[in-house]
Amino acid sequence: MKLFINLGRCIACKACEVACEKEHGISFISVYEFEDMAVPLNCRHCEKAPCIEVCPTNAIKRDGDGAVIINEEKCIGCYMCSAVCPYAIPIVDPIKELAVKCNLCADRRKEGNLPLCASVCPTDALVFGEINEIMEEKRKRKAERIVEAQRKAIEKIALFG
Amino acid sequence: MEKLILGLCPYCGMGCRFYIKTLNGEPVEIEIYEGGVNEGKLCPKGLTALDFLRHNDRLTKPLKRTENGFEEISWEQAIKEIAEKILEIRDKYGPDALGFFSSARCSNEENYLLQKIARLLGTNNVDHCARLCHASTVAGLAQTVGAAAQSGSYDDIPKAKVLLIWGYNPAETHPVLMRYILRAKDNGAKIIVVDPRKTKTAWFADIHLPLRLGTDIALANAMMHVIIKERLYDKKFVFSRTKGFEKLIKVVEEYTPEYAEKITGIPAHLIREAAVTFATAGRGIIMWAMGLTQHITGTGNVKALADLGLICGYVGKEGTGLFPMRGQNNVQGACDMGALPNVLPGYQKVTDGKRVAEIWGVEELPSEPGLTIPEIINKAHEGEIKALYIMGENPVVSDPNTKHVIEALKELELLVVQDIFLTETAKYAHYILPAAAYAEKEGSFTASERRVQWNFKAIEPPEEAKPDWEILRMLGKALGLKFDYESVEDVTREIALVAPQYRGITPERLKRDVEGIQWPCPSEDHPGTKRLHVESFATPDGKANIIPVEFKPPAELPDEEYPFMLTTFRVVGQYHTATMSGRSKALTKRWGEAYAEINPKDAQKLGIESGEKIRIVTRRGSYECKAKITKRIGEGVIGVPWHWGANVLTNDVLDPEAKIPEFKVSACRVEKVM
Ligand code: SF4
Ligand code: SF4
Ligand code: SF4
Repeated sequence: MKLFINLGRCIACKACEVACEKEHGISFISVYEFEDMAVPLNCRHCEKAPCIEVCPTNAIKRDGDGAVIINEEKCIGCYMCSAVCPYAIPIVDPIKELAVKCNLCADRRKEGNLPLCASVCPTDALVFGEINEIMEEKRKRKAERIVEAQRKAIEKIALFG
Repeated sequence: MEKLILGLCPYCGMGCRFYIKTLNGEPVEIEIYEGGVNEGKLCPKGLTALDFLRHNDRLTKPLKRTENGFEEISWEQAIKEIAEKILEIRDKYGPDALGFFSSARCSNEENYLLQKIARLLGTNNVDHCARLCHASTVAGLAQTVGAAAQSGSYDDIPKAKVLLIWGYNPAETHPVLMRYILRAKDNGAKIIVVDPRKTKTAWFADIHLPLRLGTDIALANAMMHVIIKERLYDKKFVFSRTKGFEKLIKVVEEYTPEYAEKITGIPAHLIREAAVTFATAGRGIIMWAMGLTQHITGTGNVKALADLGLICGYVGKEGTGLFPMRGQNNVQGACDMGALPNVLPGYQKVTDGKRVAEIWGVEELPSEPGLTIPEIINKAHEGEIKALYIMGENPVVSDPNTKHVIEALKELELLVVQDIFLTETAKYAHYILPAAAYAEKEGSFTASERRVQWNFKAIEPPEEAKPDWEILRMLGKALGLKFDYESVEDVTREIALVAPQYRGITPERLKRDVEGIQWPCPSEDHPGTKRLHVESFATPDGKANIIPVEFKPPAELPDEEYPFMLTTFRVVGQYHTATMSGRSKALTKRWGEAYAEINPKDAQKLGIESGEKIRIVTRRGSYECKAKITKRIGEGVIGVPWHWGANVLTNDVLDPEAKIPEFKVSACRVEKVM
């Protein structure tokens, strides 16, 4: 399961940030707003996570859902994970002074709930699921649009010859 | 003990549900309710809707102004003194020296009771802030289609093939509704956005028309010109269901896209493209909000959009409709309850109040339409309104021309403010009554799609604060009225008797069907109505009136002294006067600072850098904030969010029909603050 970012659907409402902050005390997702679009960004829970590779104490592990989790007991605060992360995700927890990041709402998942940001996101800019299923859904919609355009074209030919 | 109580969002008019989790009676967090119109989704305001409830600034005791400032007094004493003063003023100056501001933030029951008090005291001087948002919609739709409400449901949106979003920015003001809009786009709908700013909603537009401020009618007329010339209108619908089409043809004749280009600044070819896209889609919805309504031609603007929808046959069918989008959680309900100077509950005209008088058990009710909010403020200024009772409104920040409002409030012999915080307005009150917030009381609220939902009580109000309906019950009794309601449900039941649209909406049903009932609901076994105007319109002869309108420029245009145009808007993380949202840390941290948008070219000319402090000056006042340089706004225009007091700048000139002020256009100049 992945927390997929549906690029081009974000309205920069920051409900995800506020929700994450309510749940974890810090927001582990950041929304960047530009003149013509916005991008929400949190940990991508990479398949070949550089952070897992580099961590000298093996503090970073993958859980059953595929979430990449930092174990704060083992973390020594060297921030090599931050250094190698392609999205600049791990940050300093201001209280514990250790590396922290999104854990895909581990507590919520244990209770069978969705990660909170995906749960609240009004536009489905964030969705939690299997990438292939999400892609299948999107592809089907693209196919429907092709058919619609095709039908319109045929109608026009029938009308105007 | 932990408890989950179903909550209803106190912010916008969408009508979102969530759970309020309490621990030993205290609110702890918002949890997701996987249902309702929001389908479990929430915006940042909904997510923080508990933050202000237990804030230290809450009003907890009735206060009375004395020489030494505000002093606490008992409820009994406060109500007694207020009632005596109201009666004294009425007897001395007549009932029309009294004014009442009801509230789109309060329940149906509370609005119902306040307007009932006003009318039983003999005046129709009762109004609420719909005057400042959709008064022009109420007037414009009443004349054209006969019902001042969203004609379809949110569910119609994904079924539409074109959405014309006019002067409305749901990405900031109704984020959850964007879900329905993007679903329509997924289904292949074209999106046309009309807005002078490139709003976040415009990010999703296939066609964005950034018109000059206040030129809406010229644009709508030009679109209709194209639709008529190219014979793209719905002939069957126009001839069988409407009247007045011939007059429209004559009026829009001169509005060629080229002519409209000169007025609106939108290239003629884009106007054509938008018109053709809209008319040929087959199913379309027009949505609008303050960018359309807050103009001196507000009522005309609404009529023009109604005309446009009507000639395309986009009313009363699946995936179509005229959608005025409601900004407050109960602005629809406050209108339905007759918290308006010209109508009684259920839009029954005050000129014909016999039926209601009978139910209320009185001989007669005042039959002259009363004064609107801006008129009450003006009359208070002139000394004709002596007493003003304000429930849950903050005109000092929400109304145009702040200075004038404050001067008017200072003239009053009696100003009572009933609220949850000491608002900017309450500072001028003689009596302040502490009210319960949404989660601390019960009652019904009506969302934008005419959906009436029950608001359950989750927690107790702080200290002595009381639900507004209870305060009004005490006041009513002290005024000698027969206000022996035992519970809020008694009021809900009386509403069902008085307002025909609410006939079958009982408290029992609302508590059982927590997803609500859409009015009109004529009987207890009626499921409610998803769509209005399906077979006939709510006009006397059942036909819609197509009412052509001519373009008229805004009241203030730029000149040498004030070379810029000024408009206002809202941001997603604050709400109106920020009384509630301004008390959430999560929100103020992200949306805490006033700013003004200015185009890079204008900024360069004025030598302003991003983040520098600027002063905006209009004929009415001046306002300082940071400059935000962005191409989102066109050259010559300045845009300011109004949450932080920008209404010192705005124009209080009124639309003559609906008496809505022209918030959206002023002339201004910009100075760098050294
Ligand atoms: S909640 Fe969704 S739409 Fe809103 S900012 Fe986050 S990702 Fe974007
Ligand atoms: S922290 Fe960075 S590298 Fe590690 S899984 Fe997340 S996105 Fe990938
Ligand atoms: S999945 Fe949970 S922890 Fe991660 S960004 Fe979303 S809300 Fe925050």
